[in-house]
Amino acid sequence: MRRQPLTDRRLTRRTLLAAALILVVIPATMLLGIFALNDRKYLFVSLLIVLYTMIPFALVFERRKPQARELIVIAVLAAIAVAGRAAFFMLPEFKPVVAIVIIAGVCFGGEAGFLVGAASGFVSNFFFGQGPWTPWQMFCFGIIGFIAGVLYKKGWLKRSRISLCVFGGLSTLVVYGGIINIGSVMMFDPVLTKEALLASYASGFWFDSVHAVATVLFLFFLSRPMIEKLDRTKVKYGLIEP
Amino acid sequence: MRRTAFSSYHPIVNFTYFAAVLVFAMLFMHPVFQAVALVSALVNSVLLNGRRAVRFNLRFLLPLFVLMAVVNPAFSHAGVTILFYLRDGNPVTLESILYGIAASCAYATVIVWFSCYNAVMTSDKFIYLFGRIMPALSLILSMVLRFVPRYRQQVKAISDAQKCVGRDVTQGNPLRRARNGIRILSVMTTWALENAIETADAMKSRGYGLPNRTSFSIYRFDGRDRNAFAAMAGLIGVVLLGAAFGENGIRYFPSVHVKHASPFGVAVYAAYFMLCMLPAAIQIVEELKWKSIASKN
Repeated sequence: MRRQPLTDRRLTRRTLLAAALILVVIPATMLLGIFALNDRKYLFVSLLIVLYTMIPFALVFERRKPQARELIVIAVLAAIAVAGRAAFFMLPEFKPVVAIVIIAGVCFGGEAGFLVGAASGFVSNFFFGQGPWTPWQMFCFGIIGFIAGVLYKKGWLKRSRISLCVFGGLSTLVVYGGIINIGSVMMFDPVLTKEALLASYASGFWFDSVHAVATVLFLFFLSRPMIEKLDRTKVKYGLIEP
Repeated sequence: MRRTAFSSYHPIVNFTYFAAVLVFAMLFMHPVFQAVALVSALVNSVLLNGRRAVRFNLRFLLPLFVLMAVVNPAFSHAGVTILFYLRDGNPVTLESILYGIAASCAYATVIVWFSCYNAVMTSDKFIYLFGRIMPALSLILSMVLRFVPRYRQQVKAISDAQKCVGRDVTQGNPLRRARNGIRILSVMTTWALENAIETADAMKSRGYGLPNRTSFSIYRFDGRDRNAFAAMAGLIGVVLLGAAFGENGIRYFPSVHVKHASPFGVAVYAAYFMLCMLPAAIQIVEELKWKSIASKN
């Protein structure tokens, strides 16, 4: 019975922190970019904003002193995602990371989903090379895991294969593709224009489609056995959902 | 990867250096600053990565640089000096061409700096630095880094075992092979999860979560690090002072305008050059020292 109020406070603290960041710090950064830096430093400002969005998750996670078992399950899932990305490295954009992240979000909640996504984005770039794209990938993978966890809790996302595949395909195409293309415009084009953004979406469309197809395929084959295994581990060792 | 003098410094020196040069490379668009940053980044990358860096810079970076510089004037039509009109009636301006070159230069510099960062800031240094601030997250990172090679070995072991009973990915028809592959991955996942729980229990019994944790790599912040850090902080301070007085910026639109170089401005350029060249300078001094103390007979 004592767990419940604790959980509630945790959620509101994250929400408050996120609200403060979104309402105060991010506009302040944008204004700094416009006035102090003459509004042409998209790469720098956008990197700062993407990093801010990850701070609430990191702070809340550190503050509640997670148990070893919880840490290690997140690490295992992230490692499977990284190893999977490395195994399919010769096929560009054909990576299982989003599928694993969605499964993590569904099984262990939104926070774990975010952490698995962000950690696998960060660590996989130790193998593929870090760059200004790292925070964008971390954020995109993470936020898909978070959304999956939240939607599952709300009951809008089911554990069925169809539901997961539809969500996986759409989220890869819309969330990942939508955000990562903004990121690549910020990185490659000096000026953010509508034309450049549209050109980036058009040229990135096939890559995003391949990525979405990969996610759907991996979810189709992996979701049921993976979820079964994770549930079995949860029951066998009494892991509580964080 | 070669071991260089700069990477033997304390992680905080390495990290502060790269944070500063990366942020400065993204922010300062003044032509002198850009040239200084690009040249020093290239010099450092060649010192750190050797011939591989030269090949990468020529094959990958140069085409990207040219492409980006060409793309900008096609999309951006701001600026007052119109050179000619495109076929669709949009003007091509001198300002947008110059800005395109400057922006692609900044991007190329960031990429080259990151290649230096990858060579110097190894993951254990990163975890050493952030282990104090974010212990749980950096532990996750170090575990993931360890698990990836370990899982590769385990997949190899499982597939060897499956081969003995004729169920490897190299045996049977394509459908059979795919099914065998999935079986191997399934075995692998179960093993990973069970093994993870065992590791977690071992961690707990060995006192995970108690205060005063130690790191795998032990770095000592000694006199050499102190000197390097002080020099770096001083140079960063001068560059920031220059930024506060508007010495580092340039206006591209509507017309190009650069502040004329004052004596103070030249001092800021010199400070930025010294900051960017710090690892190269440390490397050269080390090598000279080594040659001078090495036995001559």
